[in-house]
Amino acid sequence: MTLFLTFTVLGLVLGAVYAIAASGLVLTYNTSGIFNFAHGAQAMIGAFLYYQLQVVWGVPALLSVLVLLLVVGPLMGFLLHRFIMGGLRDTADVTKIVVTVAILLGFVSLSHWAWDPQEARMTKMFFGVDSYVTVGGVVVRYHEIICLLAAAAIAIGLRLLFTRSRVGVLMRATVDDPDLLRLNGHDPERIAATAWALGSTLAVLAGILITPVAGGALEANALTLLVIDAFAAALFGRLRSIPRTFVGAIVLGLASTYLVAYAPSEWSWVTNLRDALPMIILFIVLLVLPQDRLRGAAVRTRERYEVPTVRRAAVWAGVMVLATVAFRQLIDDSSVGTLVLGLSFAIMALSLTLLTGYAGELNLAPVSFGAIATIVAFHSGIEGEGLDARMNVVGLALGVLAAALTGALVALPALRLRGLYLALATLAFGGLVSSMVLRETQERSWFGQDLALFPNGNLIVSPLAVGPLDLGDQTTFLYTASAVFAVLGVGVVALRNSGYGRRLAAMKDSPAAAAMLGQRLPLLKLSVFMISTGMAGLGGVFMSMALSSVTADHFVYTLSLSLVMLTVVGGIGYVSGALVGGLLAGGGFALIVGSFNELSIEHPVHAETFGVLSHLFLVLTALIGIGVGDNPSGNMHAIFRGQRVLARAPEVRYAALALTTVLYALAYTEVIGTWTFSLLVLVLWLALPAIGTALRAEKILPPEAVAARRATPLELVGIDTPYPPLLAEHLDRELGLPARHRATVPAPPVADATARTTTGPVAGEEAQHVPV
Amino acid sequence: MTVTSPVAGHDAAAPEEPVVELVGVRAAYGAIEVLKGVDLVVPVGSVVALLGPNGGGKTTTMKIVSGLMPTTAGELRLSGRNVTGITATEASRLGVCSIPEGRGVFANLTVRENLWVATGTGTPLAEVEEAAYTRFPKLGDRRNQLAGSMSGGEQQMLALSRALGTSPAVLLLDELSMGLAPMIVSQMYDIVGQLAEEGISILLAEQFARVVLPIADTAALMLGGRIVAVGDPADIEHELSTTYLGG
Repeated sequence: MTLFLTFTVLGLVLGAVYAIAASGLVLTYNTSGIFNFAHGAQAMIGAFLYYQLQVVWGVPALLSVLVLLLVVGPLMGFLLHRFIMGGLRDTADVTKIVVTVAILLGFVSLSHWAWDPQEARMTKMFFGVDSYVTVGGVVVRYHEIICLLAAAAIAIGLRLLFTRSRVGVLMRATVDDPDLLRLNGHDPERIAATAWALGSTLAVLAGILITPVAGGALEANALTLLVIDAFAAALFGRLRSIPRTFVGAIVLGLASTYLVAYAPSEWSWVTNLRDALPMIILFIVLLVLPQDRLRGAAVRTRERYEVPTVRRAAVWAGVMVLATVAFRQLIDDSSVGTLVLGLSFAIMALSLTLLTGYAGELNLAPVSFGAIATIVAFHSGIEGEGLDARMNVVGLALGVLAAALTGALVALPALRLRGLYLALATLAFGGLVSSMVLRETQERSWFGQDLALFPNGNLIVSPLAVGPLDLGDQTTFLYTASAVFAVLGVGVVALRNSGYGRRLAAMKDSPAAAAMLGQRLPLLKLSVFMISTGMAGLGGVFMSMALSSVTADHFVYTLSLSLVMLTVVGGIGYVSGALVGGLLAGGGFALIVGSFNELSIEHPVHAETFGVLSHLFLVLTALIGIGVGDNPSGNMHAIFRGQRVLARAPEVRYAALALTTVLYALAYTEVIGTWTFSLLVLVLWLALPAIGTALRAEKILPPEAVAARRATPLELVGIDTPYPPLLAEHLDRELGLPARHRATVPAPPVADATARTTTGPVAGEEAQHVPV
Repeated sequence: MTVTSPVAGHDAAAPEEPVVELVGVRAAYGAIEVLKGVDLVVPVGSVVALLGPNGGGKTTTMKIVSGLMPTTAGELRLSGRNVTGITATEASRLGVCSIPEGRGVFANLTVRENLWVATGTGTPLAEVEEAAYTRFPKLGDRRNQLAGSMSGGEQQMLALSRALGTSPAVLLLDELSMGLAPMIVSQMYDIVGQLAEEGISILLAEQFARVVLPIADTAALMLGGRIVAVGDPADIEHELSTTYLGG
């Protein structure tokens, strides 16, 4: 009995902390429409700052808590809203999610930078472990009482806030119709900022409370994943109801402690199950949630993607393969692997172009599907021993199939629901793979066969061999990966141009209209999700073959999130965006950080500087993602639109092409280095629209713009020309000066006034305006 | 730009200043210009009706006056003061009360909470509530019901209540009749007529001209982003019917 009570108390306390975290999440989601994936990361920053203040600097506990809750939390929320979230109005869900994901990644890199993850940090309970009361034989520590009281106070406080206070009512009104709120004399931005400040403070509070409760040392990744537990709780309340969120959190907390207490000891996987419990509960909640009402009219968003023709795609695919072959001649053998890795990631990113760019659905764990495909391919397709071992094509096909089928299983519960729920389901799946599948390192009996899914935590994935094609050779592998990406890219574009692709686009724009035209949306979603996860699986197997030996660390959720983020940065509606995103995620940043490490080994004096720089780059990656809010269609969209003006002056392009060829020749003969060549070509083509406009203005710009270029600048107006009164008016308007008050004339009768409005301002009136 | 002191039509130093005045206003959605130089005057205490077919620029004009949309050229004056570039928040605090097209209510808030939001311009909640429930007893019965669950007419009553309690300087009404039964429409305009008699200046946009003719002092016909005729409502109605019929 005492055991039961003890675990009940523990479960309640854990549930209380989940509830605090989840209520902050619900608060910001309902006031800004942004589902804050960085909520856990904010909690993590709070926990680390508390450690820094209280343990390292020795500030008294109460003062530290007050500083964090009254200064740091609100300030963090306010700044997030002011500089990032406020700019996300009128963007698609994926953009909002990606920006918060970028903040998550940024916070994690920042914390790794500021607090070395190798070092163990322990925080103590408030009043220490020894301050407790005993209730019915159960030890309840003061810290745990504080958790329970805080959760109860927050539950009641939020309830009162939303129904009994004007600011709470205004917060709810902000979601409904911000413009109407403006017409009522309120400022929706200020209200949203208040909500963010409050949400961040709740995150910080949860972060401070949870570490001593959950036990163990402070760990950035684990704390960040706290948010998934909070998601599961928030889903109980359909992301809206605070009371139900609290119930969900308590259920979650109790279930996880009871599982540990009462599971039979021979179940060796219980610890893993406990870690995965929130994700499992999340799936169950998704299954029982009632169906959403279909969204009717298209929501006007700022994302715009154009659809290329298949022919154009095929030409570009050819260009890409040729460019790969040409580029291979410039680089040394050691760099080929990085490029292959980048292309493998690009294949995974391509699955997102189809799923998110075309169909508007989300997958936040493409790399985890890659893990499933890799495991299946490893167990079914490796032939031969040692270095001669090769994977056969059957293994590859089975891996892809397994990824597609797993995709179907993951998507099934979320098919009836909005895109955000599918995104949550995939994130939960990613967590499930990391905490259960990839930890199956011991042999276990699976349907009568003894097998370890992930033997010794390390898979040696041999390269593919099909007939004469042997990917054991790096150059062949590179060409194959490039060709596979090109073919899939053309295939994806062809799919978009087919009737199926148009159905996907219709579903994305207006689910209700698509359903009324007789589309079976769940089937459509399921099929596109399966195709997409199959492709992610293919990319994953390629990635594992490129790495040749993979561990659980190669499939962590942050990698998936970076890939999604960088693909959106590139332009998730475009095949080229997928290529850029994949290359950046797989090759680019590893290369940049890697080369900083090499540099610091070569120049030990500057090692510290290089270390800072490499951290800075990781944080910058996150900043790039945050910038998506300004350019939600992605960079490739902007680049292509910029290049389009050059269509009127093709000679500029021919010149640039010739220059590129010359540079290539120089690089080939090793007059300039590969890096110099790459940088010069990149700069040349990115700057080409600007160069072209400068050189060929009269051909490229419309006539008005050319005329505007020739017009006198405002500050020179009237210096060498006469200065009529109209000019003063014009200057006033351009400078935004208030109009001079008209001389008081007797009130014109209504008829007179209307006569004036039809004829416009009378010339005589104009004459009264004399320049000051 | 920030304008702090309230400009109420009746209190202004020069009472002859029109409460709203647009001078050569142009506005565009992206590259598409929808207002091509609009001149419009709403004198103090009068009711001006903007008439015209769809796509003429009526709603855009309303958005300009209420501050929801920026102008690309021209001037917006409130009681003679140039306030071009004003935000909607500032405009409403200066006494511009705008009931937008469609339902100007928050569907997920209760009736009472909707009125609570209406106190943004400084009127206490009790006053707003009293004004609303006296005029529309139905709303009083439903004060704790979600606004979105009421009928279209009741929602429009709620939207109009904002104008009742907060005594604005000018009231902007955009397509009050949209989607309502004819009987409800005439009830609504009866109330607007009463407001006008109390001295509130009103600018209203309406596609169906006949319903507003009895209460309007002046009518302006809008076509293709310009005001093409201003005058007596009856004359304009005649012109409007010929415009519609292409004669």
